[in-house]
Amino acid sequence: MKRSGVLGKLGHLAGVVALSLIMLVPLYLLVINSFKSDAEIRLSAFALPGDFTFDYIVGAATDPKFNMLKAYAVTLFLVVVVNILSILVTGPAAYAIARGRGMAYRAIMLLLLGALFIPGQVTLIPLIYVLRTLGLMHTLPGLFLTSTGATIPTTVFLFSAYIKSIPRDLDESAKLDGAGRYRTFWQIIFPIMKPAVATAMVLNVVGIWVDFLGPRIILGPGSNVRTVTTGVYAYITKYDTDFSKVYPTMLLAVAPVLIFYVLLQKRIIGGLAAGAIKG
Amino acid sequence: MGRRAAEKIADISMLSPAVLLVVVFCVIPLGLAIYLSFTDWNGFDEANMVGWANYKRIGSDRDVHRAAIFTGLIAIFGTLGLNVFGLGTAMLLNRNTRVNRFMRFLAFSPFVLGAVVLGFLWNAILGPRGAINTLLKTWGYGSIPFLSQSTPAKISVICVIIWASYGFHAVLYLAGLQTIDQSLIEAAVVDGANRWQIFRRVKLPVLAPTITVNLTLAMIGMLKVYEWVLTITKGGPGGRTQTIAYEILSVAFDNSWLGYGCAQGVVLMVILVVLSVAIQIARRKSEEDVAA
Repeated sequence: MKRSGVLGKLGHLAGVVALSLIMLVPLYLLVINSFKSDAEIRLSAFALPGDFTFDYIVGAATDPKFNMLKAYAVTLFLVVVVNILSILVTGPAAYAIARGRGMAYRAIMLLLLGALFIPGQVTLIPLIYVLRTLGLMHTLPGLFLTSTGATIPTTVFLFSAYIKSIPRDLDESAKLDGAGRYRTFWQIIFPIMKPAVATAMVLNVVGIWVDFLGPRIILGPGSNVRTVTTGVYAYITKYDTDFSKVYPTMLLAVAPVLIFYVLLQKRIIGGLAAGAIKG
Repeated sequence: MGRRAAEKIADISMLSPAVLLVVVFCVIPLGLAIYLSFTDWNGFDEANMVGWANYKRIGSDRDVHRAAIFTGLIAIFGTLGLNVFGLGTAMLLNRNTRVNRFMRFLAFSPFVLGAVVLGFLWNAILGPRGAINTLLKTWGYGSIPFLSQSTPAKISVICVIIWASYGFHAVLYLAGLQTIDQSLIEAAVVDGANRWQIFRRVKLPVLAPTITVNLTLAMIGMLKVYEWVLTITKGGPGGRTQTIAYEILSVAFDNSWLGYGCAQGVVLMVILVVLSVAIQIARRKSEEDVAA
């Protein structure tokens, strides 16, 4: 027993060291090479920068060929609009499903959840057809609506599971007070489901931030409205020979979402596991 | 009008925006994919029916065959790798200590940072003039063609994908491990079971449903690989690391062969459904053993 305890501890240590190296070395390279010149990176990518300068990061942030600050603003705007739309649309639907009795509600839930299994790669080309027909191709509203649609399955699942845990007595007493379905939901139920709303929002923020195909195809490869992800893609494919541009641009692209992840890691990791297992 | 009827109407109005969005942006496109796969649609002009021409073209398109084979390799090795490393990492980090929580944070981080930037980062690390090869040069060694030769490039892409996603599966396995009744393990220890026996006879059977979920999710994810290939290798060298999703979204799309792209998408979807069902059936026995 004693011997296996020591062995177990050593094994754990070895595993932790291996895992840390494999995860941290790429991030280490990303950070340190953002402070070096192209020549210095090509000479020794793993070494710490000779003289520490923010010039390359400032250069990437203010490069006239790719407006990083505008990309931040576009992405932030997209994140805010889609989150608001998603909650406005999904909240009442999840409430109706969670409180509804009968086959019809289960069927609708299955329809909404089933959409989770349709690969975006298959529906993207026909989606262009739909957006063309609706006159929404190459428009921001087109992107807002498709992105919102993509958030519905997970969000409806998280919300309805949470609402089911709220006692129906609350609805009944609101009903006795003369409140309609919408008022009951927004004034009584919605304020209680903050944890579920927070989880859904956090997952949607990450999902929208890293989404490449949606904005790339719907806004069009030639569009000058670019999110951080599509902007970085367009920029790096063009200037991939100059590492002193590539590294700082990548660092700037991940910095906001990395900070977001550090602050909200528990909610992100936990929410994702809950969503995936039960879904 | 009775109260019940009023509530029914309220319910319908509450449900319809969500249903409408999902139907318009997910369900209708799926149906349209089938229709468009029988047309010559190029994205601009009217779509003309061409019968089975697109499907016949898949049958004779060697680039698509090559992409299908590589996608199959990713699906096999990726699904295996993700589950082996995912479960291994979950076992390693199961105890809720400070170090383990930080390690979970690290393992999961690629999911948050996104495939596009991380793909470019790995390109900058593994490329012919990337971080590793310059280091080898200063040490006086030759370079390793991580991305510039067919087989190493395929291995590199698969390894990076496993690196990026095992943390996601580890989180799912951790959630599964939490459900194991501790008294079962204690009873096994009292009976003199060793670590391997506890893993094989106690933990693994209880994890059966979690394994099914992980196998299915990993397989679906691997069949859809696109951004990684786009950013790590651009499909190269010489198209050798193109996947089916790459064929659809880069090759067919860039050439305005949208009907042809749809046909490939439909085939991919059919394969996906068949494999998902196959996994469920294959796993049913293991799961029933748990229930018993």
